[in-house]
Amino acid sequence: MARFDTLNTAWMVWDNPAPAPEGAVLEYTRELEKFLAEIERRAFRMAQVALRDPDDALDVVQDAMLKLTRSYASRPSAEWRPLFYRILENGIRDLQRRRTVRKRVMTWLPGPKEDPENEAQDPLENVADSAPTIPERLMQAQAMQQLEESLRALPARQREAFMLRNFEGMDVAETASAMACSEGSVKTHYSRAVHALREQLGEVW
Amino acid sequence: MSEQNNDPFETRSRALFQDSVDALDMRIRSRLTQARSLALEAAQRNRRSWLFGWKMWAPAAGVTAAAILGVGLMIGSPIGHHAASLANVQANLEDLDLVASTDEGSADAMEMLQDDIEFYDFADKAANSGPAA
Repeated sequence: MARFDTLNTAWMVWDNPAPAPEGAVLEYTRELEKFLAEIERRAFRMAQVALRDPDDALDVVQDAMLKLTRSYASRPSAEWRPLFYRILENGIRDLQRRRTVRKRVMTWLPGPKEDPENEAQDPLENVADSAPTIPERLMQAQAMQQLEESLRALPARQREAFMLRNFEGMDVAETASAMACSEGSVKTHYSRAVHALREQLGEVW
Repeated sequence: MSEQNNDPFETRSRALFQDSVDALDMRIRSRLTQARSLALEAAQRNRRSWLFGWKMWAPAAGVTAAAILGVGLMIGSPIGHHAASLANVQANLEDLDLVASTDEGSADAMEMLQDDIEFYDFADKAANSGPAA
């Protein structure tokens, strides 16, 4: 009887074989899409906080997505999030370094002549008017703006730890994996970041 | 998975961040969707090429494994012993090579054989004729 059961089980396995390769590709793609769709907006905002420029932030997020899917997508899906953020942070750091080098080079080059008409213009005139209708919304936007400025003033590792832990909701172990450091370092960076932000924003908030 | 803090400062900053994520404009959302599609296309291509590569290399790997198994079986079988006798034949050929080779100061063995060919022919016939002769 036991043998018969085994045989039945074997036939059940045979009747319901593992998904065909094409099916497996589709299933894997669906899982990856779900992950990226869930993460992309927060990742973009984090990159924007660090880089300020939305186009740069989009480029960095797109690069991170491509690198993850090309090089690390065969890893278990549980590892995708820390891997993605590690790639993203590396991209942000590379871009910041390039900017610093560009700035240094630009200071040696003769700049364009300043146009007195442009000087007279108020740069805020060119900024799109978001026209918030609710004052509370405006206050929130201002508060977020202040938080972003304070985050940019933090050392990179503290900013990373704060954003991953607080904005992305990662636990200490995941954050340590994303930042390629020990859990103790994550706790230290995070605690220092919170302390510094509180000091800077305390009066305004 | 995540250990969210209930500290008012952290709660407020998290809420503000989430609001700013929700308020992203359509241009950004659309660009992010495009980026995602590109990444997924790349992922599908990678996955397919990996599967294709596996399918392509599987027969070659099978043939190699069969060849290795064949060699292993041959060494352990009578064919393997035959291979050993082949080694003896090779040793005899080496002897012949020694006879055929010309060493300095010595007579050429093959030339000697040609010179006395009539004698060897006679000796052969005499041996074949037997004791009746």
